[in-house]
Amino acid sequence: MTRRTFVQAATAPILVAHQQAPPPQVDLTVAHFVDRIRAAVGAWREKTIDGFKAGDPSVALTGVAVTVAARLENLRRAAAAGCNLVITQEPVFYGANDEPGNRASDPVYLAKTAYIEQAKLVVWRFADHWNTRQPDPRVVAIADALSWKEASGNDNIYRIPETSLSSLIAHVTKQLGLRGGMRSVGPPDMRVRTVLVSPGTTDLTSTVARLKGADVVLAGEPREWEVVPYVLDAREAGAAKGLISVGRIVSEEPGMRACAAWIRTLAPGLRVEALPVSDPFWNAAS
Amino acid sequence: MTAREIVTRIQQQLASQKITWRTETVDTFKAGDPDTPIAGIATTGMATFSVLKRAAKAKRNFVITHEPTFYNHQDQTAALAEDPTYEAKQRFIKEHQLVVWRFHDHAHALRPDPLVAGSARALGWTAYASATEPRIYNVPPTTLGALAAGIARRLNGRAIRVAGDPAMKVARVALGPGYGVPPLTTAFDVAVGGEASESGGNSEYLADAAAAGQPKGVILLGHMLSEDFGMFEAGEWLRGFLPDVPVEWISAGEPFS
Repeated sequence: MTRRTFVQAATAPILVAHQQAPPPQVDLTVAHFVDRIRAAVGAWREKTIDGFKAGDPSVALTGVAVTVAARLENLRRAAAAGCNLVITQEPVFYGANDEPGNRASDPVYLAKTAYIEQAKLVVWRFADHWNTRQPDPRVVAIADALSWKEASGNDNIYRIPETSLSSLIAHVTKQLGLRGGMRSVGPPDMRVRTVLVSPGTTDLTSTVARLKGADVVLAGEPREWEVVPYVLDAREAGAAKGLISVGRIVSEEPGMRACAAWIRTLAPGLRVEALPVSDPFWNAAS
Repeated sequence: MTAREIVTRIQQQLASQKITWRTETVDTFKAGDPDTPIAGIATTGMATFSVLKRAAKAKRNFVITHEPTFYNHQDQTAALAEDPTYEAKQRFIKEHQLVVWRFHDHAHALRPDPLVAGSARALGWTAYASATEPRIYNVPPTTLGALAAGIARRLNGRAIRVAGDPAMKVARVALGPGYGVPPLTTAFDVAVGGEASESGGNSEYLADAAAAGQPKGVILLGHMLSEDFGMFEAGEWLRGFLPDVPVEWISAGEPFS
C-alpha cells in the first residue's frame, strides 16, 4: 500500500460514514499504465527492445515523462516534475539491449542506476512499436516541425516550396535546433523541391528505392559507408541529389514530443511531460 | 602482374608477418576482372566514384579500398541491380579496366594497425602514443575546444563533430579508427574516431558522465577523415614488397560540405 492509498483508505470511512463503503480505490500502477499503452499499440512483438529497463513497475504511477534519451539530467527533471515513469526512445544504459556489459562497474553507470533507485523511477523503452506505427510518427512530426504539409504518397517524400539546399539547411537547422550535428552533401545552390524524410537509422535499401523520387534525403543517422557515399556517387554519376544529416537524436526528438501528446490521450488527469534533448554536437571548426 | 597475382603477393607477405588469411573476410575482389594486367595501384579509404575517376586518370587501374565500393559492408549488389548510380559505376570500372579489391580485415590485423597509425600521423600525435596502453595518446594538456579546433585546422575538416564542454581540460585521448570509436570510460578524457551510432553510444554516456560530475569529450572526425590516411600507410607497406608496381594514395576525402 502506498502512502496515498493508505491516506485514502484511512479517510474513506469518515467521508462515507453513513453510506455503503465504496470499493477501495486502487491506484493505477506503472505496470497497469504500460499495459494500457500496449493495448493502444495493438499487436505486440515477441522479439523487441521495448520493455522495462530499470525500476519496479508495481509502484503507483505519479506521472509520465517522455523523451528521446533517458539521460541522467532527464531522469532528474522527470523526478522533479513528479513523474516516476520515464518513457525513452533510446537505450538508458549505453547499448542496444541496455546491457551494461563492460560498464557494469563503471562509476557513471553506477551513478545512474543508483539515482533511478533512489528516486524510485521506472524506465520503459518504447522504440520498436512507436517507430513502426503508420504513418511513421517520427516522419510526420519532423514534417510538422518544418511546416511541410504535402506528402506525395506514403513513401515519406514531401513536396516543399522550391528552395536551395543552403536555404533548406538553414531552415532545418533553425527548426530542429541543430548545432554541429548538421552535415550535408551537395552544392549550396542546388534546387530542392522534394525531400525524403528518413529519421533514426537511414538505411541503404529504402534510400536507394526512394531517393529516385526525391532531390534530397533528410537523414537521421546515415552510415558513412552506406547512404553517404551512395549520394556522393549519385552526384558523380550526374544525378542532382543531396543529403542532409541531422543526427539520430535530433531526428527522433519531434517524434517523441508527438509521443508525449499521444500518451497524454491515454492518461487523462495524469501529468505527462515531454523532456527535450538537444543536439549533442558542436562543430570543431566553428 | 595481374591484380590476382598482386593479391597473392599480399597474402604471402601477410603470412610472413604471421597473419593467417581468414576464411570469412570482406577482403575480396569487388569489381572488374582480377586477371587484368595492372599498371599501378591506388590505395584509398573508400573507392568512391570520384576516387575511381582519379585512379583511371592516373593509370592506377588496381584500386585497393578499405571501405566498401557498393555502399554496404558485404558489397551485396542484388538490391542495386537496376540502380542508375550503381550501373554507372560498374560501367566506368569496365570501360577503364579497373579492378577493385578490398583490404579491410587484414589491414586491421597488421601491427601496428595502419589505420590507427595513419590517423595518429595525420593528427600529429605519433610521438604521444602511450608505450604501455594501446590506443592511448598523451597529448600536451589543453582544452577540448582547443584540441578540436586544432584538429579541424590540421585535417581541414568541415564537419568534425564534438560533444562535451569546450572548456574541459584534456590530456589523455583514446584513438580508434573508423567505426571503432573507443567506448568512453573514466580511464581517459576524450574518445577520437570516425563515426558511431548515437543510440546508446558515447554521446549518451558523455551526457550522463557530465551530469555525474565527470566531464568527458568525444570527437567524431568522420569515417574518411579517420581512415583515409591509414590507406596511405597501407600503400607504404605494399611498396615494401611490390617494388615494380607504382603505388599511389588517392584520397577519398571528407564527403560533407
